[in-house]
Amino acid sequence: MSEAPRTEALPHAFFSWNRLWAIATNTLTELVRLRVFYFLLIFALLLIVGSLFWSKVTFQQQLQTLKDISLGAMTIFSTLLAMLATSMMLPKDMEDRTLYTILAKPVPRFEYLMGKLTGILLLLGLAILAMSLVFGVTLGVRYFQVAQQLQGELGGATSELMQPSVEALRAEVFDPDLLIAIGLLYLKAAIFAAITLFLSTISSSWIFTVMMAAIVYLIGHFQGEAREYLMLTSDGSWLTQGFLGVVVILFPDLQLFNLVDDIVVGAGLPLSLAWKTIALGVFYFFIYTAASYLAFSSKEY
Amino acid sequence: MAESEISSQAEPGWAIEIEKLNKTFAIPFRRERLHAVRDLTLQVGKGQVYGLLGPNGSGKSTAMKVILGLLKPDTGRTAIFGQDSSKVESREQVGFLPENPYFYRFLTGLETLNFYGKLCSIKGKALTDRCWELLKLVDLEGAAHRRLGGYSKGMLQRIGLAQALIQHPRLLVLDEPTAGVDPAGARDIKDLIMRLKEEGITILLCSHLLAQVQEICDRIGILHRGELVREGRLEDLIGIENQTELILEGASPEVLKELRAFLEARGVRALRESKPQTTLENYFLEVTGEEGQS
Repeated sequence: MSEAPRTEALPHAFFSWNRLWAIATNTLTELVRLRVFYFLLIFALLLIVGSLFWSKVTFQQQLQTLKDISLGAMTIFSTLLAMLATSMMLPKDMEDRTLYTILAKPVPRFEYLMGKLTGILLLLGLAILAMSLVFGVTLGVRYFQVAQQLQGELGGATSELMQPSVEALRAEVFDPDLLIAIGLLYLKAAIFAAITLFLSTISSSWIFTVMMAAIVYLIGHFQGEAREYLMLTSDGSWLTQGFLGVVVILFPDLQLFNLVDDIVVGAGLPLSLAWKTIALGVFYFFIYTAASYLAFSSKEY
Repeated sequence: MAESEISSQAEPGWAIEIEKLNKTFAIPFRRERLHAVRDLTLQVGKGQVYGLLGPNGSGKSTAMKVILGLLKPDTGRTAIFGQDSSKVESREQVGFLPENPYFYRFLTGLETLNFYGKLCSIKGKALTDRCWELLKLVDLEGAAHRRLGGYSKGMLQRIGLAQALIQHPRLLVLDEPTAGVDPAGARDIKDLIMRLKEEGITILLCSHLLAQVQEICDRIGILHRGELVREGRLEDLIGIENQTELILEGASPEVLKELRAFLEARGVRALRESKPQTTLENYFLEVTGEEGQS
C-alpha cells in the first residue's frame, strides 16, 4: 500500500499552535460554507431602507440615526451569530461523530475547545469587519450627500460661514470613538461566545444551550439595575451581598458594554472607562473559557 | 496506577492491554448504575486482527472508547503499545473509524484528509503526498474534490478509513466498518483491511457481521452483558476437533461409492455429503457485475 516514505513520528507536543489553527480554520470554513454571512444582506438592506425615512429630520439627526441603527444592528447580529454558531458546534460534532475522530487523534481536549472558540472569534471578527465596512461606506456616502445639501442650502454663504457646520458634520462622521464602540461590540460578542461555549459543555442539546444563553443574555442586561435596586432596598446583610456576588460572577453585567448610546450622541468616551470596560470584558471571557475547559475536560462521550 | 507502572507491566508483544476494566454509567433518576463493562481483561498482540464481538449493549463500544481515551474507566487499566491509553500521546499510534461517521460534510475528501493530517502534525508536501496516497488506496481519487455531503455510505466509510490511516498508525480501531454499506462496498473495505493486516498493522474490529469477522480475524473475544465470556484463536474456538472436511473435485459417483465403502470399512462415519456452495456475497457480486470491476 504505502510506497511513499513513511512520515517520521514526531515527539508529541503538549500544545501545538498548528493543531489549534487547523481546528480554528476548519470551524471558520464550516460556518462560512453554511452561509452564515447571508445575514449581511439583511444588515445592508436595513441600512438602505432605513435611510429612506430620514429625509424629514435634521442633518445631524440623520447621521446620528444612521450610527444608532448601524451599531444597534451590529450588536444584535454579532450576538445572535455568537450564540447560534457556538451553541451548535459541540452537539454537531458529537452527532456526526467527528468529535470522536478528532479526540482519537493526538489532540488534547483544550486544543480542540480553544480551536473551536478561535474559529468563532475569527468568524465574529470577519462579520463585524464586514458590517463595519458596510456601515462606513453608508456613513461616508451619507456624509457627502449631506455636505452637498448643506452647500446647496447655504449657497450664498462664504466658506468662513460654512466652515463650522462642515466641521460639525465631519466630527460627527469621523469620530474615533466609533472604533472603540465597534471594539467593545466585538468584545461583548466574544464574551457571549465564551458563555455559550460553557453552556454547551454542560448541556446535551443545542436547543437547551440556546435557551440558556438567551436567559443569561437577558439577566446580563438587567442584573445591573436589579442589583442597584436590591442594594437600595435591602438591609445590606451578608446574605444579600453574597447573593449579589454570586449573581455578578455567574451573569456578567452586559449593560456595562453598552457604551454605544453615548458615542452615538457624540458625548466623548473617557479613555479610562474604555480601558476598564475592556479589562472587565477580558476577565469575563477568560473566566467562562476556563469554566468551559473544566467542564469539557471531564466530560465523557 | 501511574504510567510507569503500566509500562513496566507491559509485555513487548502487546499492542493493546486491558486489565480488570470496569465501567459504569449513571441512570437518570435512579440510584443504581449501569455496569457496561465488568472486569474485562484481554490482550491484543502486535500485528493481530482481533474481533470484539457481542450483541448490542454488550459493552464493545464502551471498551473501545476507554481504549481511545474518550471514556475514563471506573477501575482498571488500558495501555496501547505499553503506554497508558488515557494519555494523549498514546494516540499518535492509533487510527479510529467510528460507526456510521459523517465527518464534516462541507469539506471535500482531500480537505478532510488534510485536516486530519494537520491534527497529527503532518505538514507541507509530506501531507499532500500522504493524502493522495490514501485517496488512491481507498479508490477515491476521482472524488477528491467533492464535498462529503455528496458521498455515498460506502465512500464515507472509505474516507473514514483513510483519515484513520493518515499518520501511519500501528493500531487501527474499527467500529462496524461495513455497517450500512452495500456488498460491493463491504468487499472493498474487507479487502483493504486484509491488505493492512498483511502490512503488520494491528486491528481491533468490532462488528456484528460474524461471517466477515470469521474471514478477517485471527483472534476473537465475545462480550455479553459487559463480561468477556469467550476469548481465543478463532480456529480453536469454532473448529470441531474430531471432524475433518474434505472437498473433492472431479469425483465420479463410482469413486464416491468406493470412498464411502473404504471409510465405512475403517469405522469412519461420513456425516454429510453435499455440493459446496459459493457464498451469497460472491453470487451477488457476480450477478451485479461488481466482481469483475473490483
